[in-house]
Amino acid sequence: MVALNHIFTFSLRDLELILEAALSQGGDFADIFMEYRHYQAVVMEEDIIKETSESIIQGIGIRVISGEKTGYAYTNDINYEKARQAALTAAAIASSPSPTRIKPLSSQVIKHDFYPLKISPDQFELEKKVDLVKEVYSACLGFDRKIIRAKVALGDVVQSLVVANSEGLYVAETRPMIRLSSLAIAEDRGKREIGFAGAGGRVGYDYFAEIYPPRQVGEEAAQEALKLLEAVEPPAGEMPVVLAAGHSGVLVHEAVGHLLEADYNRKKTSIFWNKLGQKVGSSLVRIIDDPTIPNFRGSYNVDDEGTKPGPVILIDRGIVVGYLQDRLSAKLMGLPLTGHGRRQDFTCFPLPRMSNTYIDRGEHSPEEIIKSVRKGIYAERFEGGQVEDSGKFTFTISSGRLIEEGRLTAPIKQATLIGMNIDILQNITMVGSDLAFSPQIGTCSKEGQEVPVSDGCPTLKIEKMTVGGQL
Amino acid sequence: MSSEKNCHLEKEIKDSKLLAERLVSYGQSLGADEVEVAVATGREFSVNVRLQAIEDLTEANFRYLYLKVIKEKRVASASSSDLSLETLKDLMKRAVKRAELASPDDCAGLPDSVEPYVDPASLNLFDPEIARLEPKEKINLALQTEKIALSDPRITNSHGASFGTSEGAFILVNSAGFSGFYKATSCSLSVGLQAGETDERVEDGWFSFKRFFSELDPPEAVAKKAIERTVRLLKPRKIKTQSVPVIFEPAQTAWLLGFLFTCVNGSAIYHRASFLVDKLGEKIASDQITVIDDGLMPGKLGTRPFDSEGVPTRKTVVIEAGILKNYLCNTYAARKLNLTSTGNAEGGGIGPNNFYLLPGISSPEDIIASLDKGLILVKTIGHGLNPVTGDISRGAFGLWVEKGEILYPVSEITIAGNLAEILNNIELIGSDIKFETAVCGPTIKVSELTVAGE
Repeated sequence: MVALNHIFTFSLRDLELILEAALSQGGDFADIFMEYRHYQAVVMEEDIIKETSESIIQGIGIRVISGEKTGYAYTNDINYEKARQAALTAAAIASSPSPTRIKPLSSQVIKHDFYPLKISPDQFELEKKVDLVKEVYSACLGFDRKIIRAKVALGDVVQSLVVANSEGLYVAETRPMIRLSSLAIAEDRGKREIGFAGAGGRVGYDYFAEIYPPRQVGEEAAQEALKLLEAVEPPAGEMPVVLAAGHSGVLVHEAVGHLLEADYNRKKTSIFWNKLGQKVGSSLVRIIDDPTIPNFRGSYNVDDEGTKPGPVILIDRGIVVGYLQDRLSAKLMGLPLTGHGRRQDFTCFPLPRMSNTYIDRGEHSPEEIIKSVRKGIYAERFEGGQVEDSGKFTFTISSGRLIEEGRLTAPIKQATLIGMNIDILQNITMVGSDLAFSPQIGTCSKEGQEVPVSDGCPTLKIEKMTVGGQL
Repeated sequence: MSSEKNCHLEKEIKDSKLLAERLVSYGQSLGADEVEVAVATGREFSVNVRLQAIEDLTEANFRYLYLKVIKEKRVASASSSDLSLETLKDLMKRAVKRAELASPDDCAGLPDSVEPYVDPASLNLFDPEIARLEPKEKINLALQTEKIALSDPRITNSHGASFGTSEGAFILVNSAGFSGFYKATSCSLSVGLQAGETDERVEDGWFSFKRFFSELDPPEAVAKKAIERTVRLLKPRKIKTQSVPVIFEPAQTAWLLGFLFTCVNGSAIYHRASFLVDKLGEKIASDQITVIDDGLMPGKLGTRPFDSEGVPTRKTVVIEAGILKNYLCNTYAARKLNLTSTGNAEGGGIGPNNFYLLPGISSPEDIIASLDKGLILVKTIGHGLNPVTGDISRGAFGLWVEKGEILYPVSEITIAGNLAEILNNIELIGSDIKFETAVCGPTIKVSELTVAGE
């Protein structure tokens, strides 16, 4: 991958001078986030390679924390003078007559690697990426004569970053990412439906050569569109819902993960703010956020504040036991860092964010869970969700099936499910032994910042949830 | 100070224009048949305050460059936040070479001709006063808004208030001889609130977003509306699953129109990824429905003299009295569909200008009074919009109405329907359009939607 020294030409001394400028008006803490990202993308549609593109995102963000206040400034230029100017701009958040001293920087070596790979995205020829896209495209379009359109997009990025702070930390790392996705449109007797699938993660191209056959992405998109051609309208009202393993992880992301991000609890806007140590859900529920799962999309060797991450148990046997922390919230709450300070890019300051969030496995077999439902729905594929701090959340299924007398029957179309997170956690009555993760293509948005994430869960039964189908 | 900042922007525009021209010639010299270079440059400021203290303040200059080359009808593009000439020349060199990897595409290429566009100054997009605002004044606007909101005893917590400004310019040069730029500003004031006791909290907020500072709603107005929107959600009830008439408040009509936009987007049409494929000239909505895309409305948020390909913006009637008249296209989609560009190019794709539902004559009060039994939709969360089928399914918050009177708030419900049916079932259209967002509409009443609850 890219050698950092070629891009970030600053010496440790330069960085120290910038940090000194950042704390020239006082303040408690300052950090520098420098990044260089190189993207490549290939798009195929209408039987042709429509376009290839590349993109460079580089810049430096300087943050100053003074009490509960954050001052932030950034520059596109990797240039000492511009960075110093930005530091002086950010410094204005503090207003002490005397500067705060910084500790000399000492370079930390990261001894672990959560992105083991053989072929880095920037070492794989563009021609081969084009071939890979063509393979997925033909697998999708050729899957069935009812597939009338396919679109395949491949994007990869290598991000190199440096974090340096006024407490003497200096750490650098390079993160790979690949995202392959396919869309299929099926048409039959005047009816059209769309299917979508994807794969990737912090992997190299060896992943598609050795582990995940890329054509599977095209085939899954086609299968989904074809399934929807046969789908009936989902029912409406309260009913039992069984969530399929894997895709349904979005539930845990929306219903629980966001509201255990420390900032919402420090500000007491989250329904969980006064519930640390309290039982909020069924004893079957254990929820974990783990940024260290090898090759997962939400993983990182250090977070965007330079903290070494570790898994955090958020809910154990239904009890709230942990929050996801960034530096600011951890300090203000007097709790330890967890390594969940993440940012979209150098133009943004970090926020506490999820990484790879999942509900741990239970004891039931998926078959017995489905069998236990007389009339309800089986939620298979998801297109996303949203939550408010009050705990009301939705997620939308793009496809699923009806459950009738303990059996999966007709496929159903899009439906939005809504509930109150604590009610739903209490209503989880069966947890499967089949933990799986959703496709490694997810992105989470918070306060306008997007970061890559993943989520997972085993087959789950929710005794009662409102399903927004049609009458 | 202010004139210094405005001078800075003028210099940025001049430098960016020269840089873009130089890159276009460089691309041509490398063998590209057509080259397009765009630069976005400007300055952003934002401050968030919460519980009457500053939470964070961000201030920065930004610059991004986008380039596209076409060689033998093959396309390659690139973008960069590194604007050093050396990097950009490398990117251009690689793009020209990379074009060989794409397939020839007859529809690819710059617009057919360079057409004159209106004088940007006549569109009132740039407010010089924004550069003159002192940080203290901006911080105070956010503080004041939140202070008023917090003074209401029913408000129990705050997500904070924000004030932000941006001043910037878009510069576009292409090898067909187009060279133009325009400057634009915007400013926004917003606040997010919670009401109710722990475990029974409800939340909402309000904002004002304008190009001119003098048009921005004052803190009192933003705070008052945010309070009103939040407290009306207190003590919600659940309702039974049923089909009822639903009134969309303007902010809700706005997302419905946003969804309509994705369905008339020329790119979705040539992909056959919209339920409105092959429907030009057909009746797709009730007679009262007229939807317009207009890039030339002075001072509005969706206004610009030309689109991201340099095609002059215009007024395009999308739906006229219920009949689908036009899809919205960039040059590429237009060629695909054998139509002409409507000046809707945005980035590499297609975006709305001011895309709105023509207001009617009913007052929102009269629309509510006309509702015998049904829901006023005030907030929605989640996704659940499928352009291929028109299906809509979203989490919702509303006010339950009987005999024209608002009785109580409802939550934990969803609404489900289909845009094709909704367009035909719009019974009443309000007069209350305010252009608070680029895609917008007034209050509307839809005769029937499924509301799922208990």
